Amino acid sequence: MEIYVLVKQVPDPEAMVKVKTDSELEIENKYFTNFFDEVAIEAALRLKEKFGGKVTVLTVDNRRVDALRRGISMGADDALQFSDPALEGSDPFSIAKVLATYLKDKPFDLILAGRQAMDDDAGIVGPSVAELLGIPHVNSIIGLEIEDPKKGAKVTREVEGGKETLSCPLPALFTCQKGLYTPRIPQVMNVMKAMKAQIKKVDLSAIGLTTTDVGPHSAKIKLNRYFPPPKRPPVRIIKDDFPENVKVLVKLLREEAKVI
Amino acid sequence: MSNEIWVLAEHKDGKVKKITYELLSASAQFSKKTGGQVATILLGNNLQEAVKSLMTFADKIFLIEDPALTFYTSDAYLPSIASLINEHRPSILLGGATSTGKDLFPRLAMHLRTGYVPDCTDLSMGEDGRLTAIRPIYGGKVFAEISFSEDRPQMATVRNNTFIVDQELNKSAQVISVPFQTNHSLLKKKVLGMEKVGGEKLDISEADIVVAGGRGIKSAENFKILEELADVLNASVGTTRAVVDEGWRDQKDQIGKSGKNISAKLYMAFGISGAIHHVLGIGTCKTVVAVDTDPNALIFNYADYGIVGDLFQVVPALTEEFKKVLAEGA
Ligand SMILES: Cc1cc2nc3c(=O)[nH]c(=O)nc-3n(C[C@H](O)[C@H](O)[C@H](O)COP(=O)(O)OP(=O)(O)OC[C@H]3O[C@@H](n4cnc5c(N)ncnc54)[C@H](O)[C@@H]3O)c2cc1C
Ligand SMILES: Nc1ncnc2c1ncn2[C@@H]1O[C@H](COP(=O)(O)O)[C@@H](O)[C@H]1O
Repeated sequence: MEIYVLVKQVPDPEAMVKVKTDSELEIENKYFTNFFDEVAIEAALRLKEKFGGKVTVLTVDNRRVDALRRGISMGADDALQFSDPALEGSDPFSIAKVLATYLKDKPFDLILAGRQAMDDDAGIVGPSVAELLGIPHVNSIIGLEIEDPKKGAKVTREVEGGKETLSCPLPALFTCQKGLYTPRIPQVMNVMKAMKAQIKKVDLSAIGLTTTDVGPHSAKIKLNRYFPPPKRPPVRIIKDDFPENVKVLVKLLREEAKVI
Repeated sequence: MSNEIWVLAEHKDGKVKKITYELLSASAQFSKKTGGQVATILLGNNLQEAVKSLMTFADKIFLIEDPALTFYTSDAYLPSIASLINEHRPSILLGGATSTGKDLFPRLAMHLRTGYVPDCTDLSMGEDGRLTAIRPIYGGKVFAEISFSEDRPQMATVRNNTFIVDQELNKSAQVISVPFQTNHSLLKKKVLGMEKVGGEKLDISEADIVVAGGRGIKSAENFKILEELADVLNASVGTTRAVVDEGWRDQKDQIGKSGKNISAKLYMAFGISGAIHHVLGIGTCKTVVAVDTDPNALIFNYADYGIVGDLFQVVPALTEEFKKVLAEGA
């Protein structure tokens, strides 16, 4: 199977992220490969192990290519970085445009992405790429079975209060949720190899896009301002002995918080 | 272009979801500023019940019924919704940040080439009919206030439990039946089945009250005491990644960065240390209670009320106390 995986390097959830000004954030330099994208890479590698073929990881990023290196170290065959000064400040729809434009005349069977990127938490890129390519997509899958790629896939997705199983012809795009697979830990040898791998760069003109197709001016939404989350008042520890503390808590929940 | 506000209705087993009523209630407020009508789009099969319960919440109901719409798929929903939008040009289209909304809205926005803000925790509207959206990013470490370009509709999905349902809208909707037109060969995806997990309980992302247990609960069997507490409070039971990875609870109950965001009125955490990955999922809960044996557990930094104590003692006592006061209150 010919599989493409869309990957992004994002701030680790443990990284400090603070509002610097209305339009600027301060982000601690502590990045990792988006967890859901690692799940997607794992799924792709398992399919390659079953059917043969090729796994290619793609990222749109002017600076960070560590997600590509992570992909290579896990076992991806090829990696491409889309970078161009005009991409600076692009929204997820522009990112999707770049990826779909590149993919549109590639002979792929499957595209995998993460459920969402742990920075913008948008969940836009995957479904948008599928729309631009005119292929079906299923979001947030936790199960994937392919017996014969020509006959399509059986996927399970998370829905409220249950799990829904669908059949879907290929080519298709699926976004991956935790629980699909546990990403493998790459071997040290492969990590070293990936560190040295030459990453191929592709710019906008190479795929036939112009600077007006992407970037902040092409976005259909506008950031007014960033602001910090509302602060919770300090915790009130109920110091009474058991079981009095339980009675006090219930009383507070009813009379002070008024949530029961 | 019209100044109408549209809401995509969601329903399950014939019952309209709370988020739909929330969005229609908020839309009714917004529409006072612009004088536009509030409409809801309802797709599915055998929707008499749903239509009836939406009658007082909207000025118009666009009703599309077909067996092919029994389960949501983007193949079946998107073309119908897109053509309705292209015909009527509403100013705003809202939906829940649910499994359906998150699957459909980004693709629909790309299709319509319009602006979309996902997973909002608040919306407001100016006199000029412009929507402003608030959403958490970086897992809730930062909030962003966002506005839209001139493109219409302005699209957003909104988290459960964001707006208060106004039972007194007293509208009387005009029901507009729209034929389901599709080339059946375009329906590529087929829903083969739906496995219900967790019985009749609401999903943790929808529930008003969530009680959760972490690794401190020590085994799958011990979750029984939380189930009992949940039954008394009509709550849903959530958990941490550590517990899911142990195989004690299902993935769908995981709260946090690689699980679900919850917006409960009351969240109670038992034997949960409060790792950042976990607490990022509870940022929009109203009241948080933590019970942990470790007085230095991080969870207390995110809680409104705390008890330093043994959950095996506290949980059963809480269940009894709630039973007692709820019986008195009734
Ligand atoms: C990329 C990534 C994503 C992640 N995503 C998530 C996520 O989405 N959700 C999530 O939850 N985690 C997530 N994690 C894991 C997270 O970092 C923590 O490891 C996890 O939340 C810890 O779970 P816990 O609180 O149940 O267990 P622990 O940290 O082991 O805490 C157990 C607590 O129970 C207390 N305890 C023990 N016995 C008792 C008792 N008898 N009574 C009362 N208290 C008791 C202990 O004092 C302790 O505080 C993620 C991690 C990574 C790296
Ligand atoms: N810059 C990017 N380059 C490649 N893939 C991306 C990029 N941004 C997002 N993706 C993919 O799209 C998914 C959802 O991202 P988002 O829509 O930003 O939440 C991610 O998990 C990735 O799989």
